Amino acid sequence: MTAPPDTAPTVLACGEVRTCVLPSRRPLDSDAAAQLLQLRADERVLVSKRPNLYVLSPQTLTGVDCRLPTANGAKVRVVGTVAVRAALTEGRILQSSAYFRTPAQGPDRRRPWGHYLIRPGVLEPLGRLPESAAAQGVLAGGRPGELDLGLIADGVLTPLVRHPLLDQRAPLKSRHTRLRWAALPADPGQGPAIEEFTLAEDDLRTVRLRVPAGTEPAAIAALCEDFALHDWLLTTVVRLLDGRLGPVEGPDALTALRPAVEHLMHLWMPRARGDRTLRALWDVLEHDPGFTRQWDNLVQRVRDRLALLNALPKQPVAQPARAGEKT
Amino acid sequence: MIVFAASDKGGTGRSVTSANLAYQRALAGDDVVYVDFDFGSPTAPAVFDVPDMQRGIENGGLHSYLEGTAPEPARIDVWRRTEHPVLRRTPIGAGRLVLLPGDASGGEFVTDQDSVHRCVDLLLRLNAEFDLILVDLSAGRSYAMDMVLEATAGRELQQVVSRWVVFHRWTRQHVIAAAGLVFAERGLLEGGAERGHDKDALRSVIRFVRAAVPDPDSALWSHLSPAQFAWMQMYDEKLRRLAAELGVGDSVLLGTVPLEPILQWREQLITEEEVVATQIANKETLDAMEAIARRLTEDTHWGQP
Repeated sequence: MTAPPDTAPTVLACGEVRTCVLPSRRPLDSDAAAQLLQLRADERVLVSKRPNLYVLSPQTLTGVDCRLPTANGAKVRVVGTVAVRAALTEGRILQSSAYFRTPAQGPDRRRPWGHYLIRPGVLEPLGRLPESAAAQGVLAGGRPGELDLGLIADGVLTPLVRHPLLDQRAPLKSRHTRLRWAALPADPGQGPAIEEFTLAEDDLRTVRLRVPAGTEPAAIAALCEDFALHDWLLTTVVRLLDGRLGPVEGPDALTALRPAVEHLMHLWMPRARGDRTLRALWDVLEHDPGFTRQWDNLVQRVRDRLALLNALPKQPVAQPARAGEKT
Repeated sequence: MIVFAASDKGGTGRSVTSANLAYQRALAGDDVVYVDFDFGSPTAPAVFDVPDMQRGIENGGLHSYLEGTAPEPARIDVWRRTEHPVLRRTPIGAGRLVLLPGDASGGEFVTDQDSVHRCVDLLLRLNAEFDLILVDLSAGRSYAMDMVLEATAGRELQQVVSRWVVFHRWTRQHVIAAAGLVFAERGLLEGGAERGHDKDALRSVIRFVRAAVPDPDSALWSHLSPAQFAWMQMYDEKLRRLAAELGVGDSVLLGTVPLEPILQWREQLITEEEVVATQIANKETLDAMEAIARRLTEDTHWGQP
């Protein structure tokens, strides 16, 4: 995605990522994944097999002309296109991601569509953009009628989820998670930084970043997709361990632990790909709250439990069937 | 698994019983979502004791979602939002219990192809997340019923286990009405077949629950005269025969909820507290709820080995 030369420098880039498990009994191989993610006939799907299987859809565009949410209630109308794409990691974790960037200032009146179409993923404000208030506004979420990136991301995810390739028999129950991000320019000479990473509501995370001027929004989106993927893994395995597994023993515990071992544990691979400069931001999250530290701990808990289950004398334990399970 | 709760008439205890079933499954550790498709008279928030929305949510509920004006229907975490004193202490080991309410201002509405698509998307999404989806449908052959019949006939939901529970009271009229809802011309089976369901397959996933059934042997009726007692027993037997003749007999019975005085006064959840501590509800009622909740997923009760 190269910007036309006349585009003013970016002062704000924002996005939202939705993450869920692929509703399919088996993970998709690269061919099937490429078929699933062929969102456009005229562009190829990107398939990468090292260090793990990662398939990225072509970018699609959604045209918008609406108000941008702002923290201080300032009325900002933006026109242009939001970029949307979907990715599948190891044939198992499905993500959709919507993002845009915007210059500090735009024309006072709306231009013909052709003007916006040659600037994919750019939203131009009518007038001046209060970038800090807009960043906070996007992270907090808009009111009805304002730009909703999550809705745009969902618009790509929903048809994918009901694709004929998928049998709707996911190996485990889990929730969709949402991660919103907003990136403002770093001070000249400064590297990228994470200013804030919050676990807001149940399934919502927000990230506020600073990035060096000229950083491609697609690269920031990729970094945040990586965050979202690993946050989803943590969230899902924590729920698996803290949910009905707590005091349960016997075959039921095994049934509940199995999907984690078979489908999730090998997926942990932070900074597998993406922009080198931005990848450094992982160090921040590794230090505090310590993503990998928590993951290692969870994996150890799962393994210890399995070892215990194995060591305990095998007794037939009658357990009621769980909903949706064939007995 | 999706369980659709249907009834021919109102006042059959469909909503209150299915809310109790949802509660029992969540207690047992399942993640449960209760979807209020009773568009005519949404009562679920009242049964779960969720304040400020006794007749549904102000906006952004299921009506708005299905009509396309809300991107996602509002969700209510029952453990967190309820004012029921017992429910507020989320029991250890319990799964999630989430309510998707209707809109307070909504009523029955004509569904179109778009709402069927949205219904499919919603059920797929919930199925990915929850162990049990309990869908409470309006009484009778409603738009809601047609919509879910069409939604479940499609390719997308074919791999998702769906079951139907039809609630009726234990009287002659209610037995006839329940049978009619399922077997009559323009009934559930025919409506399903019109939308692409296999009639036999659909029939095999329908079971009946008898609600508010007086048990002549219970203490509640100990004051009956011998003549009354004999009459009740005779009539009970007669109803059984009628039910069997109409195809709603014991072979397709999922369970029986005894007549419970407190449910005659107030639609509510029956908890251990009401039975053990305050003793205002009967243990038989709680036992019945637990048993039916368990049977929802026990294949032996659904004609499968």
